[in-house]
Amino acid sequence: MTSAPLALAERTAGRPAGRARRLDPRTKAILVLASSLVVMAPGGTPFIPAAIVLGVLLALSEGAWARAVLLPLTSAAVAAAAYLLPMALPYPVIGFVAAFAAYLLRFAAVGGVALHLLRTTTPTELTAALRAARIPRAITTSAAVMLRFLPTIATEARAVRDAMRLRGVGGWAGMLRHPVLSIERFTVPLIASSLRVAEDLSAAALLRGLGSATRPTAMHPPRLGVADLAAVGLVAALVTATVLW
Amino acid sequence: MIHIEGVRWTYAGATTPSLDDLTLDVQRGETVVLCGPSGSGKSSALRLMNGLVPHFHEGRLDGSVHLDGRAVADLSLDQLGRLTGTVLQHPRRQFFTGRSETELAFAMENFGEPPEQIRERVAAGIDEHGLTGFAGRRLQDLSGGQQQQVACAAAATHRPPVLLFDEPTSNLSAAAIERFTATLARLRADRATVVIAEHRLHFLRGLADRVVVLRDGAVHRQWSGEQFSTLDDDALRAEGLRSSVPPPRPKPLRAQGLGPSIDHDTTSMTASGTGVTLHAVSCAFHGRRVLDIETAYLAAGVVTAITGPNGAGKSTLARILTGLQRHQGEILLDGRRFTRSQRQRAGSIVMQDVQRQLFTDTVEAELRLGASRDAGQEQRLQALLRDLDLDPVRDRHPLSLSGGQQQRLVVAAARLSGRRIVVFDEPSSGVDRRHLHSITRVMRDLAGEGAVVILITHDSELLTHTADQELRLRPISP
Repeated sequence: MTSAPLALAERTAGRPAGRARRLDPRTKAILVLASSLVVMAPGGTPFIPAAIVLGVLLALSEGAWARAVLLPLTSAAVAAAAYLLPMALPYPVIGFVAAFAAYLLRFAAVGGVALHLLRTTTPTELTAALRAARIPRAITTSAAVMLRFLPTIATEARAVRDAMRLRGVGGWAGMLRHPVLSIERFTVPLIASSLRVAEDLSAAALLRGLGSATRPTAMHPPRLGVADLAAVGLVAALVTATVLW
Repeated sequence: MIHIEGVRWTYAGATTPSLDDLTLDVQRGETVVLCGPSGSGKSSALRLMNGLVPHFHEGRLDGSVHLDGRAVADLSLDQLGRLTGTVLQHPRRQFFTGRSETELAFAMENFGEPPEQIRERVAAGIDEHGLTGFAGRRLQDLSGGQQQQVACAAAATHRPPVLLFDEPTSNLSAAAIERFTATLARLRADRATVVIAEHRLHFLRGLADRVVVLRDGAVHRQWSGEQFSTLDDDALRAEGLRSSVPPPRPKPLRAQGLGPSIDHDTTSMTASGTGVTLHAVSCAFHGRRVLDIETAYLAAGVVTAITGPNGAGKSTLARILTGLQRHQGEILLDGRRFTRSQRQRAGSIVMQDVQRQLFTDTVEAELRLGASRDAGQEQRLQALLRDLDLDPVRDRHPLSLSGGQQQRLVVAAARLSGRRIVVFDEPSSGVDRRHLHSITRVMRDLAGEGAVVILITHDSELLTHTADQELRLRPISP
């Protein structure tokens, strides 16, 4: 599995080794799209195990060991709540919980595949790939900005929470006593600081030509490789196995 | 190269203009420094040069601006971006990609340059700007100084004729400032036109062709590079400017400390008296150890500066001291166990990004939130409002204030918090001479009342004036 892509990496001179071993962002996007279409569609339940296997393999390929273990475990727990719990405890309330768990299970299955895309794709790679797939610029630019900005909001939120704790306005006690005030004290600074970051980010990006009328190029134009072929083969095998079962 | 004539600019929603009859010419290949007190229009002048005013920021513009002979008003932002490279005050906010290589390529990719040429220029940029050592690491994991280097390289890779810097040294250590100075010297040698807005002036001696003092949005006075280097400190003080000579090597006492993270040998450990004691405190992120202190003692009643290069674990230590960061080891206050949640209740931080800690709807309410209620607090509050120039804005919404005013507001709130541990994380970035002194006074007062005052700073001027003790950290070698 490793020797072929490495050889490919050596042939494409000037590229850092390891880049060729990873999936093309287009392949990753198609995997997410395909697995959500199949799993979320009516009658998609039989495909859930296949999607989870795919998620685990992708996690292993990027070295995310924790996810590779947690994804099947979480899914198994949710699946137990969905299918075993109603058999053990036949109450109406449990039926409601089980229906919700069955719904959640589909999200977990697709989530594993989607996390791989989010964790291994940089905004520029994604735009380059989407562009190569002839997606209009309005969509590629906003997708890139969103991918860039989500982690920023998370960072800002953590910082605001820290500041609230030190000011003595955070914590569960305050939250229960003054829920609205607590939410206000969290969201106002969060929005203010996120906006300031967003302003700098968009000013810098616009000056550096993001969204300009020129057709952008890529330092390393995306190319489909052996890894992508392997991924397609794997998915075909998983689908066939599910159907034949 | 840059020709500004009779410009008056008012931001949408503001009542007074930020630039008022500004006229300024910058020649091709010239290096010009813009200085002046907070709110004098330095940042707005830079935005005028790269076209963010009026193409990005909204407001009312009169007068004319020409860049390379063309009217800025008639150019689009990406056309302006080909002519200018801009480095903002917080480089980490302007990064669009995750790594140095892609960040350097970003502008050229968007401008549609051929891939071959992009790879060539990016490789050259990484080499010239000294990024080789950390080119593979994630940008968010780099130290402030390294991020600054990447931002400079990214602004220059597409070879724009004009480069603009907004307070480039506000968060840099002395060593990082030296590297930045070398970058400037190289850009100058390449005949780039460079404009820098700065408060700290000492590193610009011998590099500036011209120093322009702005006041109330117009040119107040100008010096040539030679004239500037002969000015004495009194002349600068008269203009409210920071010193142009490097401050004398500060010599605060060494704080007691021992361990891989501590950069000085402490003689014997005689930790006694009140204050915070650390035992075997260490902290790691993703398996990488960032802080390891065998033992250290931070005395109450004095200002202890935590110094060291970017990436030595200064902010991590501050977060541990205020209970925000999980860690290994034990911390004592006045000899008794001091748990993480106790530290959260006893600690206060003035963060680097102060917008994150403004919670209420007026300046006065902000000062009363979470403040202790001892006798004399009311008087103290009124005195602080005057001292820190916040009296005229006491009823305004904190988020409507300027960056400098917000910073002073958070400093004032920390003063009134009545906490035992108060941390100031780079409180002087973007602060002019007068306010530097009032912030120093706040720290001294807190120490005078018996608090453990921690100052994290690279600003040697602030260090000289404020710190009694210094705990110098160093990055842990892997």
